Amino acid sequence: MRSGLLFLASALVLCGAESNSVLIRNVTVHPVTAPDIANASVLVIDGKIADIGPHLAARSGARVIDGRGLQLYPGLINAATNVGLAEISALRDTVDLDEIGTFNPELRAEVAFNPSSEHVEVTRASGITSVISLPSSGGSGGRSGSIITGQGALMHLDGWTWEEMAVKRGAVMDMIFPQMQADVPRQYAALLGTPAQSLQEREKQYKEKLQQVSDFFQEARRYKQEKQAGGAGFRPNLRLEAMLPVIDGKQPIFVRAERERTIKDAVAFAEKEKVKIIIAGPREMGSTGVLLKEHHIPVVMGKTLELPLHEDDAYDAPYTLANEFYKAGVKICFGTFDVQFARNVPFEAAQAVAFGLPHEEGLKALTINSAEIMGAGESLGSIEKGKWGDLILTDGDPLEAKTNIKRMFIEGREVALESRHTREYEKWMKR
Amino acid sequence: MKLALGLLLGGLIWAETHGAVAIKDARIVTVSGEELAKGTVVMRDGVITEVGASLSVPADAWVIDGAGLTVYPGFIDALSSWGIPTAATPRGGANQTAGAATATPEPRARGPEDRPQTYSFERAADLVSPTDTRLEAARAAGFTSAATYPTRGIFQGLGAMIDLAGERGRDMVVAQPLGQQISFRQGGFGRTGFPGSLMGNISYVRQLFLDLDQYEQAKQIYASNPAAGPRLEYDHALEGLAESPRVLLPAEESQQIDRMLKFAPELKKPFILYGLHEAYERIDELKEAKTPLLVSLKWPEKPKEEDPSEVASFRELTMRDKAPSVPGLLAKAGVRFAFYTDGVESAADLKKDLKKAVDAGLPRADAIRALTLNAAEIYGVADRLGSIDKGKIANLVVMKGEAFDEKTTVEYVFVDGQQFQPSKESQKEPAASGRKGNAPAEEIK
Amino acid sequence: MRQANWAPTLCALVLSSTAPAQTILIRNATVMTVTKGTIQNGSVLIQNGKVSAVGKNVSAPADATVVDAAGKFLTPGIIDCHSHTAVEGSVNEGTVSDSSMVNIKDVINPTDINIYRALAGGLTVSNVLHGSANAIGGQTIVVKLRWGKTAQEMLFEGATPGIKFALGENPKRQGYPAQGFFNQGPAPERRYPGTRLGVEEVIRQCFQEAKIYQAGWQTYNEKVARGEHPIPPRKDLRLEPLVEVLEGKRYVHAHCYRSDEILMLLRVADEMGFKIRTLQHVLEGYKVAKEIAAHGAGASTFSDWWSYKAEAYDATPYNAAIMMKKGVLVSLNSDSDELQRHLNLEAAKTMRYGGLSEDEALAMVTINPAKQLGIDDKVGSIEVGKSADLVLFDQDPLSNFSKAQKVWIDGHEYFDREKDIETRPEFERKKKALEDKEAAAEPAGKRKSGAAASDSPAAPIAEERR
Repeated sequence: MRSGLLFLASALVLCGAESNSVLIRNVTVHPVTAPDIANASVLVIDGKIADIGPHLAARSGARVIDGRGLQLYPGLINAATNVGLAEISALRDTVDLDEIGTFNPELRAEVAFNPSSEHVEVTRASGITSVISLPSSGGSGGRSGSIITGQGALMHLDGWTWEEMAVKRGAVMDMIFPQMQADVPRQYAALLGTPAQSLQEREKQYKEKLQQVSDFFQEARRYKQEKQAGGAGFRPNLRLEAMLPVIDGKQPIFVRAERERTIKDAVAFAEKEKVKIIIAGPREMGSTGVLLKEHHIPVVMGKTLELPLHEDDAYDAPYTLANEFYKAGVKICFGTFDVQFARNVPFEAAQAVAFGLPHEEGLKALTINSAEIMGAGESLGSIEKGKWGDLILTDGDPLEAKTNIKRMFIEGREVALESRHTREYEKWMKR
Repeated sequence: MKLALGLLLGGLIWAETHGAVAIKDARIVTVSGEELAKGTVVMRDGVITEVGASLSVPADAWVIDGAGLTVYPGFIDALSSWGIPTAATPRGGANQTAGAATATPEPRARGPEDRPQTYSFERAADLVSPTDTRLEAARAAGFTSAATYPTRGIFQGLGAMIDLAGERGRDMVVAQPLGQQISFRQGGFGRTGFPGSLMGNISYVRQLFLDLDQYEQAKQIYASNPAAGPRLEYDHALEGLAESPRVLLPAEESQQIDRMLKFAPELKKPFILYGLHEAYERIDELKEAKTPLLVSLKWPEKPKEEDPSEVASFRELTMRDKAPSVPGLLAKAGVRFAFYTDGVESAADLKKDLKKAVDAGLPRADAIRALTLNAAEIYGVADRLGSIDKGKIANLVVMKGEAFDEKTTVEYVFVDGQQFQPSKESQKEPAASGRKGNAPAEEIK
Repeated sequence: MRQANWAPTLCALVLSSTAPAQTILIRNATVMTVTKGTIQNGSVLIQNGKVSAVGKNVSAPADATVVDAAGKFLTPGIIDCHSHTAVEGSVNEGTVSDSSMVNIKDVINPTDINIYRALAGGLTVSNVLHGSANAIGGQTIVVKLRWGKTAQEMLFEGATPGIKFALGENPKRQGYPAQGFFNQGPAPERRYPGTRLGVEEVIRQCFQEAKIYQAGWQTYNEKVARGEHPIPPRKDLRLEPLVEVLEGKRYVHAHCYRSDEILMLLRVADEMGFKIRTLQHVLEGYKVAKEIAAHGAGASTFSDWWSYKAEAYDATPYNAAIMMKKGVLVSLNSDSDELQRHLNLEAAKTMRYGGLSEDEALAMVTINPAKQLGIDDKVGSIEVGKSADLVLFDQDPLSNFSKAQKVWIDGHEYFDREKDIETRPEFERKKKALEDKEAAAEPAGKRKSGAAASDSPAAPIAEERR
């Protein structure tokens, strides 16, 4: 039954060639930014949503699709991934993350986004129509010691080239905020053979790193001044050029900050440098909720399905964290910060919902919030006129694993939900 | 350099003991019997000849006026490396890691047959020397003997009861072999040979004792009928094990105590557990097991500099809080235990550590007993050491004040009847604190 | 029977399992028995640690504790066929090619907080395994997550012990000539094997040795029976468990990925005369499902892991469904402290990837792993006579919005979400009291309250923290 539907879908896609006008009828529409509408239709013309309503007629050559009473949602967004930039984590040759160097603002993730990566198809099969692709894997301190690792891009999970797939190039500037080195616990000091560094030493190193960042931003501002003055001796500098949108407050910095202290320091830094930031991947809130709300700083939540940070933490601390931020008035969205589980971002949201986050907030945090936080709120994230026709047809709540994603549209084009995984399934069932 | 300093600061006074020495009219804590509020103890040729309330002092005796002084039996460090000069390191002689640093690296072991980290045949008695720079500080803390073991490997070797002074190493040995010390060495993340894990260590210990069993059976069978052959190989690792009257196994945390209580009987030797900081969780079990115990005086402490955003776990905090109460709880349950210094070397630190145990509920008399007679009994040398009794070795510590109190000073120490006067400097808190916050960690047991 | 006093939540104290076995009636739940269908508005009676009645109308003795489970779902305790939780020290003895002499049973750590966290997700039984650094790894054991008990008390009585094998990339990595991605350090001494070919050789060689060893003991025993006094052979802890495998007394749990190595192992087992009990991970199992079914091995796999290394690249989340449909006994496992907390959600994925029914999905983490571990007479479903290992969920456990509320093992309550939440403030107080006590004992001038970091308003540098 499912394979039949897939075949039909693929056939239709082939027939429709690259048709990006479609009328989807007979569905419950979940606009996300407006109340649900039962028994309705959505009309997409030339890739953009043209109309939503109970009785719509097809026009401009739109294909008609009977939704058979299914659910229609906006395509889901994963706000933090490395999709396209890494294929098999253990094989370095297939991984394009974590470039050498401390400050690499000029690096752009989209230019190495492999449109033929298996992860594109695999990720979208779970209802995800776009992702933010970041140039670093993050982690405490970053594996290469980098601080500013490059720019992340908002990408559609369909297109012949990365150019076609890019929804917003340079959506964010990826930054791993300096962090105090953790003390090595007694039990592990012997195992690791590391002489434990004194608190003083670690504080010193940390402050040095912060100073480095401060100096770099200063350099960028000086560059801007020089450029504006347009003197004879001015020479363009790729690195510093890339910093201009950041210091102008136009490009937000995606600041990876796990600990409460790091978050606070990041906020203070943003104030001082007068830049826009997004906090990414926090693992605790502490008193930062209030702080972030005051400064209108949004958060990209890391994995909900995670272990608590400390031995004594409540067992459900990571599960309730998203709701804590939400209750504090912070705008949140979800990201998985990886490649192979990018497709599971709806389940990360679901777990947060299970432990208190209101369901509609969970859904918003997978759609409209992500779009808005990434500066694409006008074109993505909900079923509204004028936005991209990024839609999914499901037989239930897309946050549930039991639900099947039946069909998908990106920019109004129907997109096959087959992938490497379904092909293996088809093939080997025959043995 | 350290030796010179020691000599300088030491201000040792070596009294020539041609005749007897008597400490007259002091408070004498014999440990084996009633305290004497005012008594006299006489020693001659390194042995206690008299102890009592009203004695006549021999005419040729060197008399020390005991007014205001208390005489205790000299303390025994029940698990030590004192006396082995190579085990001393600048950072305070961490018992276990020192050997690894100085020994030549072993070829990578490919399995238990390679006998990795096995020095079961090494004898502390062969390694001791009075040149160990730590002896002076040990005496200043009131210690006159130590159950000393070699320090490297999983099977560290055969321990010896030594007195902490002598002209030559062999003069120091009182009794040997005391037992076989076993430690668990985990490989760390580098490339190491077998065993690299805790379970690897345990399995190896188990295997070696199985080998011992088979070796002894084989020896017997061969001896009864050599013609049947085959001729046996000499296995000095197994010989070392065979000679061990008992084994010492590490057990610090509650689950490690459970584990060793279950594992040790497999080895078919009497055993002693050492460490025991979380024993407050297992008092009943230890009472039932009747295993002799050695409690480490290096109480778990808060690291000197703790990042305020990183707080220790509840378990860790509890251990720091409750570990010093372990001796008191053991005493109350009637479980026999002794103390060991576990790398703590400064006299001031040792005094503080003992005071901590007393403050946490260990009656002072029990503390003294744990430092003296219990240790002697555990090692089967109570006929010679551990109390102030006629015929025992003249190992005494004479204090001004109650033992372990902050203001108390050690006035004299007698080792084999030889008199020492530890300097006041050696008993004070050292300038740079003796205990490092992030001390060389004990390996996981 | 004793209690851990230091449990990070006070729950273990509150839910004192030193209390005598209670009679408990769980009433009016949706009872998902797994093997005998789902009962709406059903009840389950627990007596003496066992399920003594299941049905729509169950009467209970007057002294029974009644749990009103209206609107809730009751399932068998979840079983994880691949765990490394509760192990003290390294999970691998990776220094030798064959580490069968080591035994996980020796290093079970009942104080691992991840046991409690797993309980809170409904996990009740774990197959605790050695790691995958060796072609033949260490001996393994099955435990029940009896939080607060000793290691000995956690052992699953009567469960057949196991041994771990590993095929594929992991056991050959130390044999590589140069530094790989996992940074093997300076010029490492290579440890055989360095290829899959060598992995096969290690297994065949070791079993060859085991057979010789077995024969040696047999000869010795025969001589002794005849009244002779030969010198006994050396008891070799490495070969003993392999002999047990040959004698069918020890299960083989083999970590494997690619179809070629899976097939290889099945054939080697046939050659040597033993059975593989379970293939673990077995991500390409779907390609050789036929052969796996014919051999009778169970398959314990991931719900949807893939592409983290080369041998996982052909993995598909439909793996479990395909193998199941081809007649293999399949379970889903975690191999992770984190994943083991929500195996019910992993099971739900098979409904999407393969269209399994609810019962089939739930079976993947209950009765199926129980059968694989040979403990299905005691656990794995809600049936009269089985252990009262039960989980109460606040809604359908196959919904991503469900939460475990209560967990019983042997009829004792080991987890209760409400009580967990209730005891948190008291736990915080106790902890703070210890911190304050320690701070008070510090010499003045060094004192700093632990709360400093969290209260201070954002400031660029840490100076004011002093």
